[in-house]
Amino acid sequence: MPDEAPPTRFDPLPAGIAPIVPTPGYPATFTHTPSQPPFRRLPGRSEITGPLALHRKLPCGEANLAEPVPGRPALGQLIHIEGQVVDEDGRPVGDAVVELWQANAAGRYAHPNDARSAPLDPHFIGNGRVRTDAEGRYGFFTIRPGAYPVPGDAVWWRPPHVHFSVLGPSSLARLVTQMFFPGDPLNALDHIFMAVPNDAARGLLIARALPPAEVGSGWLGYRHDIVLRGRRATPVLP
Amino acid sequence: MRPLSSHTIGPFFPKTFFREGDNDLARVAPGALPSRRGTPIRLHGRVLREGGLPCINAILEAWQADAAGRFRHPADPDWAQADPDFLGWGRAWTDAEGYYEFHTLLPGAFLDRAPHVNLLVMASGLMQPVATTLFFPQFAEANAADPVLNLLPPPLRPRLVASPDNDGGYRLDIRLRGSPAEETPFFET
Ligand SMILES: [Fe+3]
Repeated sequence: MPDEAPPTRFDPLPAGIAPIVPTPGYPATFTHTPSQPPFRRLPGRSEITGPLALHRKLPCGEANLAEPVPGRPALGQLIHIEGQVVDEDGRPVGDAVVELWQANAAGRYAHPNDARSAPLDPHFIGNGRVRTDAEGRYGFFTIRPGAYPVPGDAVWWRPPHVHFSVLGPSSLARLVTQMFFPGDPLNALDHIFMAVPNDAARGLLIARALPPAEVGSGWLGYRHDIVLRGRRATPVLP
Repeated sequence: MRPLSSHTIGPFFPKTFFREGDNDLARVAPGALPSRRGTPIRLHGRVLREGGLPCINAILEAWQADAAGRFRHPADPDWAQADPDFLGWGRAWTDAEGYYEFHTLLPGAFLDRAPHVNLLVMASGLMQPVATTLFFPQFAEANAADPVLNLLPPPLRPRLVASPDNDGGYRLDIRLRGSPAEETPFFET
């Protein structure tokens, strides 16, 4: 239980970070996005608070998505993703619940709504829930997700990405976002990634590849820090 | 059913993330008994998109004060007295009709705020979550003085006041997008 006072300053998010909506290439945004702008409210007690010890409600599991059954690893390039969750003043956010989900190496989700013909991997579930430590650090093993096509009039591809949902210490710090891989040529063609208007803000969505010599021979390593709100906030993406 | 492109974009929020009791705000953990320090209520309704069609597989997260109007969080000066068996947070997802349901205790008023439940909605077709707030019909006087409800033009305010059922439930439909006469008012997140 943190003794120190939680943040009570929640500046409006900076310009250029919110994704442009409705989003070209994503037809459902034209039927689901509210037509009216949201009302601005001053953060009060109801907004700056949030559930503590949420890991009791949402139990966190194994941090190894790549080998849910020991001895039966998932297909694909084994990677480790680690990072730190911090608030807008750079203070670590401990005890945050971090939920993540992603496609398998063939770009297919183990989800009833994904009806692509790409193969499912029986050894890859593709989702997990971990908890940050006192320094706000999280980490998990997974495989590099595959790209997948979005059908429509003009086919486009989602680059490899990992979905993150972070439940931090206040309702205003709630974040749902996506992590992308550095150097992927599909990034700049992705309607979702490019919906974030500001270059620098988009840069905050890309993980950093760790030098293999630092990581070892078993897997590739990536570092992805997440900033909840503020000037350097990690942008929201679905 | 042939999936629409909207399905294929996702979000493919894993269904395994939803467990029995996640939509019960009065339980601090899946195996815990719900707090009974208050009036048990049920909140429910439908999430709809343009054309009044159901928004399926939408995720709703609710956050509210306990029955005495306290949050178990250090930003509330009275948090040490907050109900330790009441979480105040829950998650629900909509079915094929766009229907959601929460179980909780009637929240208490605090400061100048009328009793209310904050709702966050995430769904395919929403690039970012949208936030709104549910108010209760029996607190007309407190609602009329609520500073957040009063941010809305008067004709929009009734849209955030739930309708009572005859069995202790309250219903609030959320129209993500519709004509100005139908769309739910949302707040910045
Ligand atoms: Fe995806």
